[in-house]
Amino acid sequence: MAVHKRVSIVRRGLIGGMALTLTALTACGGGGSEDGSGSAAGAACEPSSGKVTLDYWSWVPGMQKAVDVWNGENPDIQVTLKTTPSGNAGTYQNLSNALKADKAPDLGQIEYDSLASFRLKGGLADIAKCAGVTEAEPKFVDWTWSQVDFGADGKDGVWAVPQDTGPMALFYRKDIFDKLGLTAPTTWEEYAADARKIKAAKKGQYITHFSQTDPNWFTGLLWQNKATMFERDGENWKVSVDRPESRQVADYWQKLIDEKLVATDLQGFSPALYKAWNDDEVVTWISAAWGYSTIRDNAKSTAGKWAVAPMPQWEKGRKQAGNWGGSTTAVLAGSKHPAEAAKFALWLNSDAKALEILNREGGLYPAAKDGLTMPALQQPVDFYGKQEIFDVFAEASADVDTEFTWGPTMTDTYRFLSDGTAKATGGGSTLGDVLKDTDAQSADSLRKQSLKVTD
Amino acid sequence: MTPTRTVASSRTPVTAAPRRRHTAPLAFLAPFLIPFVLFTLVPVGYAFWQSLHKTERTGGTFGRTETVFAGFQQYADVMSEPFFMESLLRVALFALVQIPVMIALALTLALLLDSAVARLKRFFRLVYFVPYGIPGVVAALMWAFLYDPRLSPVVDVLRSVHLDVDLLGPDAILWSIGNVVTWTYTGYNMLIMYAALQAVPADLSEAARVDGAGPWTIALRIKVPVIRPALVLTGVFSLIGTFQLFTEPQVFRAISTSVTSTYTPNLAAYSLAAGDHYSEAAALSVLLAVATFALSFLFLRFTARRQG
Repeated sequence: MAVHKRVSIVRRGLIGGMALTLTALTACGGGGSEDGSGSAAGAACEPSSGKVTLDYWSWVPGMQKAVDVWNGENPDIQVTLKTTPSGNAGTYQNLSNALKADKAPDLGQIEYDSLASFRLKGGLADIAKCAGVTEAEPKFVDWTWSQVDFGADGKDGVWAVPQDTGPMALFYRKDIFDKLGLTAPTTWEEYAADARKIKAAKKGQYITHFSQTDPNWFTGLLWQNKATMFERDGENWKVSVDRPESRQVADYWQKLIDEKLVATDLQGFSPALYKAWNDDEVVTWISAAWGYSTIRDNAKSTAGKWAVAPMPQWEKGRKQAGNWGGSTTAVLAGSKHPAEAAKFALWLNSDAKALEILNREGGLYPAAKDGLTMPALQQPVDFYGKQEIFDVFAEASADVDTEFTWGPTMTDTYRFLSDGTAKATGGGSTLGDVLKDTDAQSADSLRKQSLKVTD
Repeated sequence: MTPTRTVASSRTPVTAAPRRRHTAPLAFLAPFLIPFVLFTLVPVGYAFWQSLHKTERTGGTFGRTETVFAGFQQYADVMSEPFFMESLLRVALFALVQIPVMIALALTLALLLDSAVARLKRFFRLVYFVPYGIPGVVAALMWAFLYDPRLSPVVDVLRSVHLDVDLLGPDAILWSIGNVVTWTYTGYNMLIMYAALQAVPADLSEAARVDGAGPWTIALRIKVPVIRPALVLTGVFSLIGTFQLFTEPQVFRAISTSVTSTYTPNLAAYSLAAGDHYSEAAALSVLLAVATFALSFLFLRFTARRQG
């Protein structure tokens, strides 16, 4: 019994998943091969006749309110929402299983970094031929569209509609910076100099934390320095995790770790981190637009003391920003109503009313250009000393590099980064080595998926 | 099960018994057999089948996929990964240290409860057993808070006497996990041993007492040898549990920067499956099952020989 108890989770996750897959396989007659690239909509995208019902999986808080507005206005296209856990917390796994079982919903929320892996599984429908989709391109922030049409490596279809983004900036404790006679650092060099002064000012005080469980935060830093990690050229993939641009980022943070200028024992989004924020022990966070609510809700005792500035730059005068997170609304392969599903996805992510609801209820920072000028995003924010912080993010949003490409096995790459970081913060390795290892391991994991990798 | 079946089959030709004789035991076993087949045998069989296959693609990156037979390639792949030996050795080290500590602790508690001088037996039996009743995830979370240097009152007390320990650091984390496991399962093992102690005939102890044996001697020379099978049983259970360690390290990943995604073999299998490497995860699971089986068998042989 002791045994059963300890493995219960993995049983449910792994073996349970296997059992499901098995039922799925038998259900569709034990077919061993799947058609890739979701050809259902690739050829044509004809509207269905009569009333249709669409299933939609999302984890945005308050999404139901937006869906209700749509359902009220479109009696013939009714959307049924299922609220799921966030992507890597289970929904992607469930979605993969549902796709195998041919029971996937019509629409699903998928983050930018996971689009390629779902396309690899043949899980996405190409909606390029659906009415209004290609025409919608100018409505969205440039880099977001290049993510959904895989523009950086040669457009071949449209695989989702951008929903929100996470342009990055610097959250900092203005009161502490003022007290030490510092201003918001504009370059990474200044940031390191400030880190030393902050450390010297008070025992146990750090400029920021270096988390191991947020590899996508680190890739946001790489994105800022145009260090794209993957390139696709036709059939071939090139892994470029280890390159001069990423080395520059890694070596910089390694130096901060070596000098003990950053807290390495704090995980992102952990109660311990929130306590450190409240206790003035960690005084900046390089984070995405959505991070404003993370600080607001978890560091209540520091209200009014924070401010937002653009990300520090690698060279004075440059204007480059990274991006951390953000989702799309994808039409999934197997949907019988791709035209209607695409119509809903476009409305949800570009209609003024919908954007307003998603921002108010879910804190989403929109991918639609019109969304950036919505009234809610022009207001001064009390928690940030009445600063109009969203101006900073709007600027950052325009400064995000459009060429950044995600690999089709990001789950693995993130895992290698995160495991490597554990070794680096533990003193057994360096972030430079982590890049080297992650590069080799990522290439290996592509090969294991039977993909072609060139050097 | 086995004796029943032999009896039934040897009788069949003689008496030409009606078929009901066969169906009755089956009907009684069905509530066990059906879920066992559906949720244990079939998934294990499927995992084995899956571990022998791999995915191939035609028509470029986003082209068609096909599942093809690959023999033992996945096994070779997974065994060549550095994490394979690392994680196995880690749980082996864990087993070497944690299991003896836990069994000794459980045995001590069981003997204390069984001793003539013990008071409030029912109460303590329950208290020792309570940790086992707490779900593993909840227990791990609770301990995580007790370990966290910024949140823990325990660490605060240690600091106040100038003991600066990082219980979540790379050197200490394995033993911090060991502590949680010990806390959870000592009571459970204690209960098995205590139940065995109840079956020790009273006249044995009495005879020993008449011969002049003190409580210590009775406990160590009479009781412990008699409940030896219970000790072996708890040892095997613990060995199996240790090699399948998952919940505690998985929960600690959210709070400690020292636990990797391949920290234990089970965690590694889970991570592989999450990255769509189902076949490799299946191969690792099969290898882990074989290793656990072999070790349990060796352990049983070893203890049996010493007894003989």
